[in-house]
Amino acid sequence: MKVNLPRLKGGLTPLIAVAVLLALFPVIGVPNSWILYLFLFFIYLALANMWNLLAGYCGLISLCQPAFIGLGGYTMVILAWIGVPLYLGMIAGAVVAALFAVLISIPVFRLSGIYFAVGTLIVPEVLRIIFLIWRPVGGALYGKGAGYAVKGATLVSTMEIYWLALIVCISSVLIIRFILRSNLGLGLASIRDNASTAASSGINVFKSKFYSFIISAAITGLAGAAFYISQGFIEPTSAFSVKWTMILMLATVIGGIRIEAGPAVGAIIVVILHFLLARYGGVSLLIQGVILVSIMLLAPQGIVGSIRRTGTSRPYRALMRLTTRR
Amino acid sequence: MNLDVLTGLATPIAMGILLGGLYALIALGLSLVFGVMKLINIAHGDLVLLSSYLAFTIMTSLGIDPILSLVIGMPVLFVVGFAIQRYLLNRAFRISMEAPLIIAFGISIILQNLYQIVWTPLSRGLTTSYALESFGVGGIRIPLVYLLDFIVAIVVMIFLREFLRRTYLGKAISAASQDRGASQLMGINTNRVYAFAFAIAMVFAAIAGVFLGLTFPFTPQSGVSFLIIAFGVVVLGGLGSIVGTFIGGLVMGLAQTLGGYFLGAAAQMLVAYLIVLIVLGARPRGLLGR
Repeated sequence: MKVNLPRLKGGLTPLIAVAVLLALFPVIGVPNSWILYLFLFFIYLALANMWNLLAGYCGLISLCQPAFIGLGGYTMVILAWIGVPLYLGMIAGAVVAALFAVLISIPVFRLSGIYFAVGTLIVPEVLRIIFLIWRPVGGALYGKGAGYAVKGATLVSTMEIYWLALIVCISSVLIIRFILRSNLGLGLASIRDNASTAASSGINVFKSKFYSFIISAAITGLAGAAFYISQGFIEPTSAFSVKWTMILMLATVIGGIRIEAGPAVGAIIVVILHFLLARYGGVSLLIQGVILVSIMLLAPQGIVGSIRRTGTSRPYRALMRLTTRR
Repeated sequence: MNLDVLTGLATPIAMGILLGGLYALIALGLSLVFGVMKLINIAHGDLVLLSSYLAFTIMTSLGIDPILSLVIGMPVLFVVGFAIQRYLLNRAFRISMEAPLIIAFGISIILQNLYQIVWTPLSRGLTTSYALESFGVGGIRIPLVYLLDFIVAIVVMIFLREFLRRTYLGKAISAASQDRGASQLMGINTNRVYAFAFAIAMVFAAIAGVFLGLTFPFTPQSGVSFLIIAFGVVVLGGLGSIVGTFIGGLVMGLAQTLGGYFLGAAAQMLVAYLIVLIVLGARPRGLLGR
């Protein structure tokens, strides 16, 4: 894989600065509630980034992200019950999610467009039923079917979980950066613009999409595992829930689909929304659904996209010149 | 093979075939929308449930029989369908390829949570006096509603076929589904036709919802499983073929009842889902697809 190095390095400094600042947060005594919300932000951003890669850049509206989240979480939990350390389990979770993506790519990659979306929708439903029936290892029962407490999760401090999520999040950001600035990203962009022209220019459409799908599954699985360490327990109904799809779709759509910075802005808003709507239970998801539909209809480019569109205004251009020093 | 196994299998087979009628009925609306607008309406299962919940409320508050309550349910869903297509999806088609899908997903989430708030997450059912009746044929007992599902499905399918062939609107829908540009040149207002097609699909969803409620208990989350079943029926049967939809329904019904018979009730949906995935992998355009 070839990568455009100057483009990869450009604008990396502010990113590193923000990451270092965020990493210092728990040490300098930021309130605990902030740490919790930032943790959620990291997880959501990693998930949304990976969905943006599929839906925005590959044209694959994947509705099976909960399958990767749940499998990542379950692999870690089951291994923890056998005695494997949590961090090793997390990596195993990512590997299992990626292998599972290879397996389901056999049926779903023969589909395109809407067929792909509904085909992938079935996958988490199948896994949920399997995990409701099947109980892989013994252990304390928590909820229906294969409900487990995450063994050893209580020994991991809030700080550690925070840094873990930060690492997962930053790696998702860097992976997206790397992909978009490599020949894989260029290939994806050309596929998005015109698939047959891309194919006739020597781009392997199937391979490009396939690699993106596997990468997306691995990171999504990793983020899922990190989430379940913090959650402390896992059960099939919430692990393979459509609510996950809602979160990552909302974050991407609010920020701006097909825009690199979109999920970051969107994830901040989704976390604020969860914070504001936490008291209202069922109404919370209803409102999120209404927001999703309205944004898609009224501002399909999302916040970042809309700002860019109005970016022809003078103050904005001046600001851009200042920040990018062009 | 001894006779006991055969008589044991007779019940799930008979029930699977009859259930196939219900599944074909649920899939009819999905198939119509897909055929005309090339959109798989992800909210289809939830819209079917809207009819079940409406019938439930009418039955419990006014004491009207669910089947009679369709007099109210069908117009309500017609209007809902017309509005969704006219004000949401029609605009979404102009935005991008993924916009209609994301909006349909949003509608699905909105409906699910609306049901949860209004009707609580409890499992509901349309339990009428005849819902629990059954009759015996050759030593096996079959619930009356299953037979009712099957008969209604056949009647509705014949009706749809005649509607598409004989009426102006039906012909316009067929024309718009075959070639949008050409039908516009022939003077068909395709936006209106799309809205009517969606509204008519929702009327079929209304009928399906009531018979679904008579047959199975339902929860606010049931929509997804019925969407997958309907999608499976469409995939198995191929597009635009009413006979294909019927056969697809039979396969899904048999998969569920036989899966339940061999693997236990908890796994009955699993078999149906796996069949959809396998068929998608083997024949993405459907078994009878062109």
